[in-house]
Amino acid sequence: MTPQALVVRMLPPFAGWLALAALALPGGSPLRGAAVGLFLAAGPGAALTGLCGPALAARPAEGPVEGRDAGFARGSDRLERLMLAVLLSIAAVLLVGTVLIAVGVFSGYLVLLTLTVLTTVTALCPRLRASPARRTLPAASPPTTRKGSAL
Amino acid sequence: MTDLSDLPPVSWARRIAAVRPFLALSAALALWVYAVRHTDVSRLDDFGLVTALHPAFWAGLAVLTTGFWFTVRGGRRGDAWPAAYVLGLLVMERATQAVLYPTPLYAWAWKHDAVVGHLLTAGRLQGADRLGDMAVYDQWPGFFAAQAALVRLLGVEDAAMYMAWWPLASSVLLLLPLLLIYRTFTEDRRLIWTAVWLFCVADWVGQDYFSPQSVAFALHLGVLAVVLRRYARTGGHPARQGQALWTVLITVMVAAIVVSHQLTPAMLVVSLVALAFTRRHRDWTPSATAVVVFLAWCLTAALPFLSAAMPELIRAVGDIGGNVEAGYGTTPTGTGALVTSWAARLLSAAVLLLALAGAVRQRVLRHRAWPLLLLAAAPLPMFAAGSYGSEMIFRVLMFMLPGAAFFAAAALLPRVPTLATAATAATAATAGTAAATAAPPTSPPRGARLAAWAPLAVLLAGTLAFVPSYSGKDRVSYFPPREVALVRQLFDEAPDGSLVVAANRNYPLALEAYWRTDHYWFLDDDRRHVDEILRDPAGVLARDMAAVEPPARAYFLLTQGQMAHSEMNGPLDASELRRVRDAVAASPRFEPVAENDAGVLYVLKPASREGER
Repeated sequence: MTPQALVVRMLPPFAGWLALAALALPGGSPLRGAAVGLFLAAGPGAALTGLCGPALAARPAEGPVEGRDAGFARGSDRLERLMLAVLLSIAAVLLVGTVLIAVGVFSGYLVLLTLTVLTTVTALCPRLRASPARRTLPAASPPTTRKGSAL
Repeated sequence: MTDLSDLPPVSWARRIAAVRPFLALSAALALWVYAVRHTDVSRLDDFGLVTALHPAFWAGLAVLTTGFWFTVRGGRRGDAWPAAYVLGLLVMERATQAVLYPTPLYAWAWKHDAVVGHLLTAGRLQGADRLGDMAVYDQWPGFFAAQAALVRLLGVEDAAMYMAWWPLASSVLLLLPLLLIYRTFTEDRRLIWTAVWLFCVADWVGQDYFSPQSVAFALHLGVLAVVLRRYARTGGHPARQGQALWTVLITVMVAAIVVSHQLTPAMLVVSLVALAFTRRHRDWTPSATAVVVFLAWCLTAALPFLSAAMPELIRAVGDIGGNVEAGYGTTPTGTGALVTSWAARLLSAAVLLLALAGAVRQRVLRHRAWPLLLLAAAPLPMFAAGSYGSEMIFRVLMFMLPGAAFFAAAALLPRVPTLATAATAATAATAGTAAATAAPPTSPPRGARLAAWAPLAVLLAGTLAFVPSYSGKDRVSYFPPREVALVRQLFDEAPDGSLVVAANRNYPLALEAYWRTDHYWFLDDDRRHVDEILRDPAGVLARDMAAVEPPARAYFLLTQGQMAHSEMNGPLDASELRRVRDAVAASPRFEPVAENDAGVLYVLKPASREGER
């Protein structure tokens, strides 16, 4: 693993621990808000998409039939990862908050700590990869248009 | 080796064209800043923010829309400028109120703040035995639990500190899945960004406020984006590789939707089922996942509410007329309310008609983006499922919009050619470049020139119509700081078990401390009782309030928010409510607690409570 890849991988957990440290700042302080908001908005999801990324990318996504622009497809994939990072983070906050309040041990600190620990564990896990034998299949698969269609 | 002198000279016209998007966007935002600095919201009339806004706001919106249209129409390859324009639009649409009003809008948002307050106070979920009707929020606690955590982590007093900015945040959040969905069906950036623009201006329904549905809707679109991109059948075969992992990811998002909101999972299920009926997306895994997670929640955590509400839910099934009917006390009354209400209806009708026109006219696109057309139609059967508190029509419209906006945008743009026609045209263009440059330019006929301006005119009309649709009822939705202070004073001094009587629930902090106080909104009662109150306000209200046991107290609260709501939605006009207020003020049964120019607060005297019994 290159040092750059390691930094990218450990960025989400680092943001989580930074947010925990920011709780020492006075309530309502912009720095505290930025650290907490940034981690909750993207941290857990970024770690999860990082973990699953190689396996998820094994098969190309459905795209426009025009298919003229490879850069467009890459842009869509980047947008998809960004969307997943944000929406999965939000989903994680909702679910962890719900679980903690349902079992009666709710506190803001505990929600953040749980998410940070989960993010750290996820970042440390080995990346999930698709099996090599099956990875070659999609490249040979025909275009997404129906047989005989001019569309 | 080249020298600068070898490069072709760059003309001034090109330089100006290159910075034109920046100039128009900057001018629009400058006009907006000027407008919000010169807008006075202290005296809103029945047109809400529409008549209060400085004219520069409208000019800014027109400049922004025109700039956007020429930027996307020019066929610039990048997404940066269209994205900047859409963000500019969201700022002007969804942040103006946050900047102008010193307090958050919407009684519903204040109610959700109260639910967050309840979770912070109780620290756990509670049932109907402790919370009555409000226990429903403890059975779908996802959004509120997350907000409770956020309040603690930010170190602020309550969610009211930031909830005015929620419409902007939730609207920006929608852009990610929306763009991804549109990019699944076309590479044409004009179409993608025009559709996003139309979605933003047609989404006036106002579900972007501080609410579970604002987040659940973004997650709903996220699930759809993944399903459209990753569950399509390639080459006639279902896509299996890596799908287990995708299913895990959508399960996380579906679970978050299910624990947060009642209606969104149902909308998601009908959308996914509709997709699974198409040849391209015939994979039942996403819809089965959504159904299983939804049922698991309904049959466990949400069972108490659902079992109590089941008879009514079953009665509403199939009653389409009743489900789309406006509820009692929701009839727009007065010129302002009527005009803004019609602006909203016309805006929605125009976008849906445009979508229909786009689907009919764009044969190729209709084939390529067939799933989007299905997604636009999928929420329609929900009319038969229930009234959702007289809100179903608005919710169905909101869930139809992502698909409808795409085809509405297609109606404004040139026909999409087939791949074969596009290839032939490209070849012909390459071969004929030399001949075309030699031939003298011919001007298009006058009709064609006028038609070229029609899409801009439609975009402008839609964008401007958004403002009355979204902000036309701000007189009802806005509560000035004095009104907030008056209600806060009530809850600061009210002992546990106290009763608050008000005309309706349209006031800030209306459900503050609902776990220890009771409420009675007399305009929610049947009309006969309202008429009794009008005949003898102090006597009937004192009788209604008499059951409160000391040390609890019975309060009568009438504020300008309640009066505006009643006046603009029909039940009683301002003079009738003033008569109720004056009767209470003159009655020896009540004593004043607080009063300011935003409302009055009285308490029922203990002695008269004894007398009423």
